Amino acid sequence: MESNAGTLETRSNKTALEREEVAALESLQFTDEIHCLMSAPATDNASSFTALLELPAPQAVQLIHSPDSAKLIAAPAPNVEDFKGGFHFPSNGGLIERAARFSVFAGEGNNNSDSPEATSNNSSANLQKAVKSEPAETDSSQPLISDPTVENRGIKRKDREKVKGQTKKSKTTVKESSDDTEKLPYVHVRARRGQATDSHSLAERARREKINARMKLLQELVPGCNKISGTALVLDEIINHVQSLQRQVEFLSMRLAAVNPRVDFNFDSVFTAE
Amino acid sequence: VKNPSSSLKSRFITRFLGALTKINAEDPISSPSPTRILQLYRRIKVASNKSMAYSVRSRRIWSRAMLSRFRSRRSAFSGRRSSVKTTNCTTINVTINENKTAKGGLDMQTDELRELVPGGEAMDVCNLLDETAHYIKCLTTQVQVMRKIVDFCHISKKSSM
Repeated sequence: MESNAGTLETRSNKTALEREEVAALESLQFTDEIHCLMSAPATDNASSFTALLELPAPQAVQLIHSPDSAKLIAAPAPNVEDFKGGFHFPSNGGLIERAARFSVFAGEGNNNSDSPEATSNNSSANLQKAVKSEPAETDSSQPLISDPTVENRGIKRKDREKVKGQTKKSKTTVKESSDDTEKLPYVHVRARRGQATDSHSLAERARREKINARMKLLQELVPGCNKISGTALVLDEIINHVQSLQRQVEFLSMRLAAVNPRVDFNFDSVFTAE
Repeated sequence: VKNPSSSLKSRFITRFLGALTKINAEDPISSPSPTRILQLYRRIKVASNKSMAYSVRSRRIWSRAMLSRFRSRRSAFSGRRSSVKTTNCTTINVTINENKTAKGGLDMQTDELRELVPGGEAMDVCNLLDETAHYIKCLTTQVQVMRKIVDFCHISKKSSM
């Protein structure tokens, strides 16, 4: 039900969103692609649009309805014919500061059956890569920073649980951004659904993900650990394995001590035995 | 990809066998008493761990900790006290304890892991898991090589009997 309402509203507001998105993406020099999209009729092609926008429909709706969107400053976009100049991107420091702290990039919509997850994944990844290569302090990056801020505000305004769109957690640069809030490297952090996006929990989550990745490696090393689920049990298994290995070393050295005196070591033969 | 001739395994083998021959050379009697066996056992164990630590050199936190442990032990035998190292460890321990409470129920196990992995007290959980993985890998190599040596010794012993 929500998704249907979302798509309907999206379609009606598509041009507005399109303009905004166009202005934002202009700086990324996706001009040609944008032109292609703009020339396409506005009412259809929801899939490609949402893929480009990287916002699930309801979030895009909130974007329009939130009063912050009125503050968006008109970006220089001389090539865009339809752009009426009605959108302003905020350039004040406070907004950017907030963007630094918890700018959210909407990711693929996991529950949203309308948005194609594959394309949104790809485009989001591409966008992210392109964004990462952007210089940190150019004016063109500002609209992008503020754009997610607006999205974030819009998201926070309404009940997040109702938001259909899923956002994916990517590598966070929030730690760096929390130090320097005015001029930032591009912050593209995604919050999981229903989770806080402040810098502490994001850093915490990044740490946890690192730890989980390492636990996975350990699970592969320790035999029989793959089937166990739950960190505590896996850690138990790892500890047991390390202990058993240490005991084996001791046991083998005892055997060697017993066997040792009678044997001369022939290096070559031992090596060939390997 | 490491050059196979200079892999960790071959480095360990070379060192360990060298240590073993050295230990062997000191042994005058062919059928040693149990005390002698115990002495040999301890020496071989230390030689094995040392060889592995030296083969890894300083690339890993655990190997560095192990090497410093060996060196401090040696200096302790020769009369000097290395108390500075222990105080450093305890201060690090205190701070680690404060940080660990944030992790919740896994503290007990990370504690245990810290005890097992040399130098584990001064590591955060992330590094601890990393070091554990490498430590496990090295331990398995150690066990593998030692087993082969023991088998070889047994075989040659049988053939010479």
